[in-house]
Amino acid sequence: MSVQVPASLSAETVEEISEARDEPEWLLERRLSALEALDELELPDVIQTPGRRWTDLESLDFENLVDPLDQSDATERVEAEGAEVLSFVEALEDHEELLEEHFGSIVDPEENYLTALSAALFTTGTVVYVPEGVDAEDIEIRAEMNSRSLFSQTLVVTEESASATILESIESGEDVEGDRYFSNIVEVVAGENSYVQFGSLQNLDEETYHVTLKRAVTDTYATANWIEGNIGSRLTRSDVETELDGDSSETKIVGAFFGHDDQHIDVNARVWHRAEHTTADLVTRGVLDDVARSVYEGVQDVGEGAWNTSSYQRENTLMLSDESEADASPKLIIKNHDTEASHSATVGQVDQEDLLYMTSRSIDPNTARNMLVEGFFVPVLEEIDVEAFREDLSDLIIARLD
Amino acid sequence: MSSNEELQETNTEARFEFKKEEASAFKSEKGLTEETIRVISEDKDEPEWMLQRRLRALEHFQNMPMPTDWPEIPDLSEVDVDEIVPYIRPDIDVRGGVDDWTDLPDDIKDTFDKLGIPEAEKNALSGVGAQYESEIVYQNMQEQWEEKGVIFCDMDKAVQEHEEIVKEYFMTKCVPPSDNKFAALHGAIWSGGSFVYIPEDTTVEMPIQAYFRMNSEGMGQFEHTLIVAEEGSEVHYIEGCSAPKYSAFNLHSGGVEVFVGEDAHVQYSTVQNWSKNTYNLNTKRAIVEKNGRMEWISGSMGSKATMLYPASILKGRGASDNHITIAFAGEGQNIDTGAKVYHNAPETKSTIESKSISKDGGRTNYRGLVHIADGAENSSTAVECDALMFDNESTSDTMPYMEINESKVDVAHEATVGKIGDEDIFYLQSRGLDDDDAKQMIVSGFIEPITEELPIEYAVELNRLVELEMEGSLG
Repeated sequence: MSVQVPASLSAETVEEISEARDEPEWLLERRLSALEALDELELPDVIQTPGRRWTDLESLDFENLVDPLDQSDATERVEAEGAEVLSFVEALEDHEELLEEHFGSIVDPEENYLTALSAALFTTGTVVYVPEGVDAEDIEIRAEMNSRSLFSQTLVVTEESASATILESIESGEDVEGDRYFSNIVEVVAGENSYVQFGSLQNLDEETYHVTLKRAVTDTYATANWIEGNIGSRLTRSDVETELDGDSSETKIVGAFFGHDDQHIDVNARVWHRAEHTTADLVTRGVLDDVARSVYEGVQDVGEGAWNTSSYQRENTLMLSDESEADASPKLIIKNHDTEASHSATVGQVDQEDLLYMTSRSIDPNTARNMLVEGFFVPVLEEIDVEAFREDLSDLIIARLD
Repeated sequence: MSSNEELQETNTEARFEFKKEEASAFKSEKGLTEETIRVISEDKDEPEWMLQRRLRALEHFQNMPMPTDWPEIPDLSEVDVDEIVPYIRPDIDVRGGVDDWTDLPDDIKDTFDKLGIPEAEKNALSGVGAQYESEIVYQNMQEQWEEKGVIFCDMDKAVQEHEEIVKEYFMTKCVPPSDNKFAALHGAIWSGGSFVYIPEDTTVEMPIQAYFRMNSEGMGQFEHTLIVAEEGSEVHYIEGCSAPKYSAFNLHSGGVEVFVGEDAHVQYSTVQNWSKNTYNLNTKRAIVEKNGRMEWISGSMGSKATMLYPASILKGRGASDNHITIAFAGEGQNIDTGAKVYHNAPETKSTIESKSISKDGGRTNYRGLVHIADGAENSSTAVECDALMFDNESTSDTMPYMEINESKVDVAHEATVGKIGDEDIFYLQSRGLDDDDAKQMIVSGFIEPITEELPIEYAVELNRLVELEMEGSLG
């Protein structure tokens, strides 16, 4: 069953978006073919067990959520020397060939309904280009969403032996009545022996439905690391993925979330080992309070040709409230026996002995609990290269605890 | 000669891989229609309510789609129910099973002799049931248990003789036919199987065993096992299964329902060695009352494709579950197995231990679900899956699902996958073992947590089956 395409969407709408930005013909063509594909495409897969659908994407009311011609954002970009950090429109002027080659090469616009919707309607996004041998540190992309709906497409390309550490933060700006929708697609092309860390910190207001798909493909000896922090939104559906295509390439997918009230946070970390000597480490830590609900799927897929693979996955959820719910499914798909793979997942409360220890040292129970929750996130915080990001995430966690 | 030596001396391969002439008293048409079901029910002289249940199940079966949307589901496209002979009544004089092996026709008796069942009965079991094709042909239990009110009989006979209990429990509260497509199929054409009833505070000290044998080509076996263990009782039930290999596919779709009363303890052990043309699609489930304990121990060695996820519903406070699963998939085999546990009451506990081995292109998968309901406080679950892979043609998947709706819980899942360690083999070789023996020994060690839970006869049997798989000489 495919999804109803909103009535406000037509070729004219898409042409209008494209024209307003003075886009080249090839990009308009891509937008239009994505639009056309919508009729046939499905929403992304959601885990379903007897009597339980883990996330309800069907009830996303695109008719009311999506207002394609009224998209608005305010985005600040902090550059690094030697690297280009451009808005999508600027990048079209300066690096059209780069975009034509790579944009949509990692995430096929026609992969599912949500990617196609984004490819047809996006109006904002960032292009980061790091030439050969350049080290670009502390790139920041700070985005504010100022409309009912906003579609963003970001592309990161690191050439041979380049490196980039990037922080992307997403917040809500102007107040808009009613529900909102934010879509964020990020593609990373990690060239030979390059290094990328892409950190994303989402703190949208709690009327916003947030959908993000972030995917990297690595060349030989490349490293693509993700840090995905989800604090805000009413519902988040986040897919963070790496395809290890080059021999001896690596990835780390680190996730943190903290849900409260009736937030629904669906996070997914996936890695495909498609070459020899590749390594993956998936670490996710989440806290749930009130009636918040989390869904986690982790996939480690080791292909037939992936000799000498190492692949690890850990997921831990801490429940602060009795009314919260946590679903988890860490999966291993192994087709090459020359593999060392493991995964583990736990769900539980704050350790009662730890709590007793601290309260017996005359720390009041609430402070003690908060300290333990902060401590719970430390393994994730330690992974973050960009200091500003580490501080921002830590501040958001502390703010939520108070 | 002890049964142990007997098992060791017999050529195990020959013990499974032999075929008898087909000799049936009644054989249904291929396929599944309302008419077939009426004919089966009539041949069994069943009460009207059972016929009605069968027909309702048939309706469910016809309306339900094949499961295709599971990730990495085994290929079931070959399973065409219209090609299956669902019911073959063996040619025996006494319905419901004789209690003396010598009363059986020679070829059937010879079958079970070769499988070592009468020998095991003498040495290690409280009772034995043996099913050939669609019906139980032999059923016997030691008198001391009968005197205590323990019932162990053919399921068809139970419908006649223990009608009230069967009517209450049979595919009503535990495995309704609407549960899944193959449970519905089972509900429509079930035949044979065991009925076990253990009265209050009765401990059956030695295990009870049922053995299921398919002999004919292209048949389906659909036995139903119903175990009711009353308060404070204890029983260990063992099932074994095998069939010779044919070119056409066979289908086994058993149904098992276990009711574990307050403080009762049931252990259900299966050593499955279906031939490698058999699709083994079962539904096994237990409902466990307060402080009751259910243990599922499964060794899946045979079959072309197995889909088996024994389930425990922990309904009463303090109920507990233990799953021990071992799967061995060789060439052409797809063993998709796991566990399902529903924690529906406080202080419930489950432990799941799964070991799998894949070799020569075989695929194993652990597919498991642990659900902790809201209010099931102070419950805990621990899941551990380990997989060993022999070569690069094989596949090993792990797909656990955890649904936690309660915060005062302790949930842990761990899994590892790896190849057989070169260093371990090198160590053993340096102690004078050859490569094959070294691998054999590593595998035996790997599955030991499972074999040590089984009575010695079955542990020996399981080890021998693993040995055969390792040699690649079976099937």
